[in-house]
Amino acid sequence: MSAAAAILALVRTWLWIGAGVAALFLTIGIGRIDANARNAFVFRTLLVPGILLIWPLVLWRWWCIERGSPWIARYRPPSAHGAAAVAMAILVLAALGLSLGARQDWPAGFEPRRLADAAP
Amino acid sequence: MSERPFFVGYVGLPRGSRGFAAALAVVLVLGAGLLATMVARSVDDPGPGAFRFDLGPQKVTGIVELTPAPVLHVTEGTSTIAPGHTLMLSGQGKNGALPRARALEGRLATASGILLTRGTLDMLQIGGGEAGLGPATGASAPALPAPEPLGRWALAGEICDGKCASGAMLPGLGIAHKACANLCILNGLPPVFVSTRPVAGASFLLIAGTAEAPMPPELYDWVGEYVTLEGLVRRHGDLLVLTVDPATLERAP
Repeated sequence: MSAAAAILALVRTWLWIGAGVAALFLTIGIGRIDANARNAFVFRTLLVPGILLIWPLVLWRWWCIERGSPWIARYRPPSAHGAAAVAMAILVLAALGLSLGARQDWPAGFEPRRLADAAP
Repeated sequence: MSERPFFVGYVGLPRGSRGFAAALAVVLVLGAGLLATMVARSVDDPGPGAFRFDLGPQKVTGIVELTPAPVLHVTEGTSTIAPGHTLMLSGQGKNGALPRARALEGRLATASGILLTRGTLDMLQIGGGEAGLGPATGASAPALPAPEPLGRWALAGEICDGKCASGAMLPGLGIAHKACANLCILNGLPPVFVSTRPVAGASFLLIAGTAEAPMPPELYDWVGEYVTLEGLVRRHGDLLVLTVDPATLERAP
């Protein structure tokens, strides 16, 4: 299996598992962990694309809340977010600066030269 | 409950956050303006290349030659394409015309499609089926114009694909276009060398391929970069064809 085929197979598997998690969570789980979602159904389809991508996080949150972890902890971002944001900003600027620095100039002054006449 | 001011859009800006919000707004406006100016100033002019839909469909007759990129030595032109002109041919999108032109090599053919032009560089994107490229009826093919050797030259410039360079893409040149150009050439679109100055009257030279490939494989890594090289130049009709010596390729200083 080529690298490209392996990546495609991995992505396909990930999305199929996500579809299964979305089906379970949106029919059973969301009403169990969020009282405001009970008897509200239309909005649930909007969550499908996100769950397809981050289904491990959904499963983990669902498990935490079912176990009775404090609900407010869901909203506390990991402490590395600030440092990551600063690092990404520096990386973007560095990439921009390096790419501008590595840029070639059009060799406008080069005059074509005939090195040899055509072979007879 | 924390006493730190917290901004919520629908309840107004807390007094303690006003200075920070004002400073942030100024920095963002100035920073975005500076960044936009830097990026805009670093971009080269994409040039005047374009699909010439304004000229309407062009139907010409000529002799097919393969370098192996297909070119047509026009014998019967239009008000835009004069007889005696040598046209490069391409298919739709990123498809070359070689598979359709191979059976017509050395024969008189009729080609119909849309012209792309960029200065003195032009190309005909042929339509589908035999209406796009097919054998001409009722006439025997005149002889192919004999190639005229012009000697060995040292040149500087850029290797690109002829279709994007002549206007299918803007920009159709430069490092930002490298991947697109390689895909186009791999699919059989004519590779072109853009010279810094005219060579025997032409700034664009069609790059000759090999029997197996539309362009010598050693050249792909250099596409989209400014290079110096040496090669043999021949005139086919009014089109210059360059046979690159890959051993002489160097990144331009």
